[in-house]
Amino acid sequence: MKVNTKTWLKLALILVSGLCLYIFLRNDAFLYQQPIGKVVAVKQATPEKTTDVYNNSDDTTRQTLTLEILNGKYRGQSFKVNNTYSSSGGLDQKYHLGQQIFVNIHEHRGQKDVVISHYKRDVYLIMLSWLVVVLLYLTMQFQGIRSLLSVILNFVLFLLIVQIDVFLNLTNFFWLFAIAALLFTALSLALVIGLNKQFSVTFLAIFLGTTSALVIGCLVLYFTKSKGVHYEALDFATQSPKQLFLAATVIGLLGAVMDAATDIVSTLFEMKRSQPELTKQQLFKSGQVIGRSVMGPLINVLLLIFFAETFAMSVLYFKTGNSIAYTFEWTMALGVVQALISGIGIVLTVPLASFLSAQFLGGKQNVGN
Amino acid sequence: MSAISILTLILAVLMLIVGGKAGLTAFFSAVFNFVILFITVILITGGLPPVWVAFFAGVCILAITIYMGNKDEKTANIAFKATLIVLIVMLILIIPLDHFAQIKGFANEQSEEIEAFDLLVGVNFEQLLIATTVLSTLGAIAEAAIAVASGLNELIEQRPTITLPEVFKSGKTIGFQIMGMTFNTLFFGMFGSDLALFILLYKLDADFSYYLNSKIFVKECLAVLYSAIAVIFVIWITTYLVGKKLNEKRAQIDK
Repeated sequence: MKVNTKTWLKLALILVSGLCLYIFLRNDAFLYQQPIGKVVAVKQATPEKTTDVYNNSDDTTRQTLTLEILNGKYRGQSFKVNNTYSSSGGLDQKYHLGQQIFVNIHEHRGQKDVVISHYKRDVYLIMLSWLVVVLLYLTMQFQGIRSLLSVILNFVLFLLIVQIDVFLNLTNFFWLFAIAALLFTALSLALVIGLNKQFSVTFLAIFLGTTSALVIGCLVLYFTKSKGVHYEALDFATQSPKQLFLAATVIGLLGAVMDAATDIVSTLFEMKRSQPELTKQQLFKSGQVIGRSVMGPLINVLLLIFFAETFAMSVLYFKTGNSIAYTFEWTMALGVVQALISGIGIVLTVPLASFLSAQFLGGKQNVGN
Repeated sequence: MSAISILTLILAVLMLIVGGKAGLTAFFSAVFNFVILFITVILITGGLPPVWVAFFAGVCILAITIYMGNKDEKTANIAFKATLIVLIVMLILIIPLDHFAQIKGFANEQSEEIEAFDLLVGVNFEQLLIATTVLSTLGAIAEAAIAVASGLNELIEQRPTITLPEVFKSGKTIGFQIMGMTFNTLFFGMFGSDLALFILLYKLDADFSYYLNSKIFVKECLAVLYSAIAVIFVIWITTYLVGKKLNEKRAQIDK
């Protein structure tokens, strides 16, 4: 009974904390410098139907919003702004009563000119982060939150490296991210398995697996002269797109290779601990068996991540009269190459991790003879 | 020959050498998933409702990933059931949240890539986003479900007298071990593909408030968070289903 009330109390506390957070985020306009307007009235015009040359029809609607400014020196004032939205909403959105919007206010000759900047989304981002923390806590108490630590640390490191990249503006910036990848690996492994011999074996397996996959990938791209691959199609590219693509591939495949290598090495270390009589050959074989069962799912994880990201762009290409081959080359090909190089990395890591663990464990304390 | 076909060939040969017959099966499961994703895009372009197409594609992808990669039918059945439940739970979570957060379509940062296009193409970009988000989490939940189910089933086989609370506790332990690594896989996978975006945001001198509210950043972060939630749920549900199955089996023996 006592345990029950305690559990209920805990749940109630979590719910109350979520509610408080939500109410705070709905009213946090005072924290922002940029003016935020709340929609207090909406006037809709009649939708206009448009049809393009590919026979796609869409509706565009104009709405006049009355915004009440919530912060800054215009606080309390009301402004009228116009917004046009389409029913597909590729780059625009419909605003509803009560929503909050960032605006830019320009003043010239006593006239105030108000333009919509962007929608306020912090509420949803932070509430979902809160949900993840709560779920982790409910599953494994504080230990669960610790498993987020490696992700958060890696994220901070990641942002730092990006900053260094922008600051230095190197010509061969790929190497910066290659070194960063080594740091990410070391940091994650140190947090998961600690700094010991198992760490060195896992690290070596990941390093060799990733490097050889990348060498294979680069050789193939070099000898085929990157046929069918358009680096220019890379989104957001502000530096050499080819290097950017390779850097993104290294970081993208790192997690999966790490996953495979840790699985194999830690299981083999555990096996040797409980059965010291195991020989090198037996350990290598067991490593291969474990690797076989994890490599398929891991390749699928990456394929789904890389491919799903191209959905919106591919639909846009198809809808505007492009052929299947053209759409594939310009929207999906880069993601597929990334998934393939990652797949090669995962597969190569399996024998590497098995071999390295077998060499290390089998040779040292061979109790069998 | 194009770079993609040679890389595909290399991957197939390596998987055959390392994994033998199982490796080749795994290779084909990835190929089938690719084909399903491609058909999904074409069906959505053809005007079918994106969320429904993604749901059916998701069921097919889960079935292929789980049943082709796993010989033990008992494990596969439980993993499949658990992932289906999570697929539905995630849809219930994602549909309203994506609507409120308004992260559909393209962001201003992408205007260079899309300036050549007329965006009034009559596709519901919000539904398309939901489809994308759901599909991108499937790989991770399938992997986690298989790992927990096979780990627990092996444990039950080794110690047939194990009690239910012990099963749940082991489920948590196994779940915890794979969770850290799965988070890393997801994190690197997703942020790796966003590398160019982060560099761009830095160059734009975006301030913290912009990060918290911009469409593109919130969209990418929500994708990672959704996957984390899906993985946690799948660990819970798989453990629960293994326990339930064990209970039913024991009740039958008692009769």
